[in-house]
Amino acid sequence: MALIGAQYTAFEDIVGADFISADPVILYAYSWRSGLYAGTDKFTPLFEAAVLPQNTEEVQAIVRLCNKLGLQFKATSTNWGLYNDATGPGVIKIDLRRMNRIIEINEKSLYAVVEPYVIGAQLQAECMKRGLICNQNGAGANCSALPIAAHGGYGHLSQSASYGERNMLALEWVAPDGELIRFGSLGSSGAWFCGDGPGPSLRGIVRGNVTPLGGLGVYTRAATKLYHWSGPPTFPVEGISPDYAPGEIPPRFLIRFFSFPSLDELDKAQRKMGESEIACELMGFNAAMAASNIATSNEEMVRLFQEFSGMVQGPSCMVIIVGDSPADFDYKTRVLAQIALETGGKSLDKITDDPKVAGGCLWRWLRSTASIREVFRATGCFGGEVGGTDTYRLMADYITETGKCKDDLIRRGLVYDDGSSPFTQSIEHGHTGHGELLIRYRPGAATWDGLMEFMGKANNIAINGHFGVPGHVFSDMQHDIYGPHVSSYHLWLRKIKKVFDPNNASEGSHYITVKE
Amino acid sequence: MTLIDYQQDMETCCRCSACKFIPLENVKGFEHANVCPSISRFEFHAYSGGGRLGLGVALLEKKIDYSDKLLEVVYNCQMCGACDTSCKYAMDMEVLDPINEIRITGVAGGHTLPVLDKIIASLRQTGTMVPGSRAKRGDWAEGLDVKDFTKQKSEVIYHAGCRTAYSRDMWPAARASIKLMQKAGIEAGIAPEETCCGGRAYQMGYRDDAIDQAKRNMDAIKKAGAKTLVTGCAECYHAFKVLYDKFGVRGDLEVLHTSEYFDQLIRAGRLKPEKKVDLYVTYHDPCHLGRQGEPYIRWQGKRRPGQVILFDPPKEFRRGTFGVYGPPRDVIGSIPGIRLTEMARTKEYAWCCGAGGGVRETNPAFARWTANERIGEVAETGVEAIVTGCPGCEDSFREAIKAAGNNLKVFDIVELLAESIL
Repeated sequence: MALIGAQYTAFEDIVGADFISADPVILYAYSWRSGLYAGTDKFTPLFEAAVLPQNTEEVQAIVRLCNKLGLQFKATSTNWGLYNDATGPGVIKIDLRRMNRIIEINEKSLYAVVEPYVIGAQLQAECMKRGLICNQNGAGANCSALPIAAHGGYGHLSQSASYGERNMLALEWVAPDGELIRFGSLGSSGAWFCGDGPGPSLRGIVRGNVTPLGGLGVYTRAATKLYHWSGPPTFPVEGISPDYAPGEIPPRFLIRFFSFPSLDELDKAQRKMGESEIACELMGFNAAMAASNIATSNEEMVRLFQEFSGMVQGPSCMVIIVGDSPADFDYKTRVLAQIALETGGKSLDKITDDPKVAGGCLWRWLRSTASIREVFRATGCFGGEVGGTDTYRLMADYITETGKCKDDLIRRGLVYDDGSSPFTQSIEHGHTGHGELLIRYRPGAATWDGLMEFMGKANNIAINGHFGVPGHVFSDMQHDIYGPHVSSYHLWLRKIKKVFDPNNASEGSHYITVKE
Repeated sequence: MTLIDYQQDMETCCRCSACKFIPLENVKGFEHANVCPSISRFEFHAYSGGGRLGLGVALLEKKIDYSDKLLEVVYNCQMCGACDTSCKYAMDMEVLDPINEIRITGVAGGHTLPVLDKIIASLRQTGTMVPGSRAKRGDWAEGLDVKDFTKQKSEVIYHAGCRTAYSRDMWPAARASIKLMQKAGIEAGIAPEETCCGGRAYQMGYRDDAIDQAKRNMDAIKKAGAKTLVTGCAECYHAFKVLYDKFGVRGDLEVLHTSEYFDQLIRAGRLKPEKKVDLYVTYHDPCHLGRQGEPYIRWQGKRRPGQVILFDPPKEFRRGTFGVYGPPRDVIGSIPGIRLTEMARTKEYAWCCGAGGGVRETNPAFARWTANERIGEVAETGVEAIVTGCPGCEDSFREAIKAAGNNLKVFDIVELLAESIL
């Protein structure tokens, strides 16, 4: 279906002629498939039109118009991943690119209010100038800083700066029917400091396990928690792309890579690091990830991968320490050394001996700039497993079990043989954890079929092993698999969708639909 | 190369949008995170590097065809290469080359813009991209005791370029270049009726015309016995150094930008900037001298079978790393009294002046918008003047400054150097 003239004009009246298009040239650019779980189709179904609102009022008007015209809409911020796409006809693309302001950075109450198209790098940079830092989405600093923009929002800084679900404070939400809902303190006093009150709290409704992925209205502004930052206001980066590195590691900073004899020892070490609150970052890594992160080309990556593979003794983690004072730094580094000693952690000094390499790693991991290198450079596509968020060991065991299923894909030549073990991270200096598995591939029918088989095995492991609901679970098909095993949550999710989206206007194929 | 040769590159785009921003390690605040003028101005994803790659695939898959809208999207791009550099921070794929190939394929199929056709007609008839009488091309050198390399052998030749030859505002820099060479004892030759380098024709998609110009120019240069070509125009520099190499016609000709050449002469003690030039300045990296100014890397091979993107023989990507960034700053730094303050976006992630890729001709308002953005960035540094090394950039900035009623001055590096030496 195509928009008829009057429909187009109605949208045009809201955003202006410059910010709407139904031309195939504009629409095909949006429909080029992303590298995330890329299948065999190069293009996703075309949107009927793309509109670019500049404020919440325009978003609201667009949403209401879609409801009135019997159209669906899908809103996106930085637009990375298959959830941004239409899955069929009759969908309007709401590209939130023009909503790109930092509304407030509240240094006293430690929160920032952002619109959807503020990227992580921008918010982090502004925070650093103020002695603060925000969580950075693990997908990279190129992604939206909105804590509910997409998926889990786990990141490299989650050890000290938590993740999306936990960081979200007050929220401004254009519900699927166009009603404007302001959450928590915003709903009662216009302030952003709390998402749960005084005022209405619908945190579980709007978020779910991994956010509705564009399937339940539009999030137009949100406040995210901030944390203290003891580092410099700007990081001293030198060099020309892609060979960036600080000239020297700033005082009171330390980066170390450790590998452990076993997952038990890694688990023990990470728990001790969390309990002692010494780490600014504590992130799982494996040889393949480290090689991809450090290398500036695939040729170099392959070489480094071989080198690093020979260095690690088992499951590994990367630790960044930032001291608040010289004494604090001294204390934290001593504790780290003691923990490594007690748990058999082997420091991979070869990576960190060269201050340029170490400094480069330090900043790339703090800013999260190399996720694209790690995930997409090798093959252009990522089809890995994104585990859930639960107790660290549960998540580590789940992803370790799932990782074994990758061997079959490698053996059949369907994915890149990066030999990678999964990686796990602990969150919030505590016992919460998250795990992921890197799977990189060139798209093709056989590979896609293999990935689907893999996903089926992962589901069996998660369900039969009682590992909870992993992060890859979205869409009707997945929810219908998991729901019966988890308190029939899928039925409730569907009821939420139905109640809040009576006209089925918010395109929910990557969330859940109202099918009976 | 044709568009289909870039299919794998285009299909490697994972849609991360890194092409829209400066390399993320360098983001120092909310402001100046954007790097692509086109997406910044027109907002729809199609106007980004990644968006255009998607359109390239759509063309190959026959999902779309050349249309007015496609040409509008394709030509509202300065071909500044910032998307290419930002992408290649993380990825092993070509970005700017396939985008240019979309233009080239369009031109080959007769899908062109009338305003560009008119300019190319001028190139074919008179050898210049700038309207004006060819007979007056050498007027900028009037009164200078400089030899004509089309009549006398000359080891070093100076190429003024179309924009310099036909704009009186640019003549002081060109004349100063000759005088500085003479001061250093270099007897450079010029061609009073020099012809266009063809670089901008290539950017506009008229590859055959660019190759014709390259062959014509190299014939004349070879006849002169020249070993070194010096130019003050970044676009010409890129054409002679990079494109002519790509076309396989450059041979052993050494191509130097005036900033590189004079930096060498200063280091060798043959030029001594001694007079004080009391000025606060910032330096604007021209796209074709900076990120696009690095040497061409000849590679012929194929992608290796397997999952990982590897090539046989290994392919070294041009990532903007080896552009000309140091010499202009060193020349400025050698002038007593000048204080240089860098802008937020510099070197490989400098914001474009707006003039490139034919945008000044096809959409002057967009060119002006882009220049205004840069002028605003200059203003934040609090300097008195913007210094650069490309007449296209200088012209673009002067126009924007005049329209804004701003007091900012614009200088070519050579003008300031001459003030300190001559």
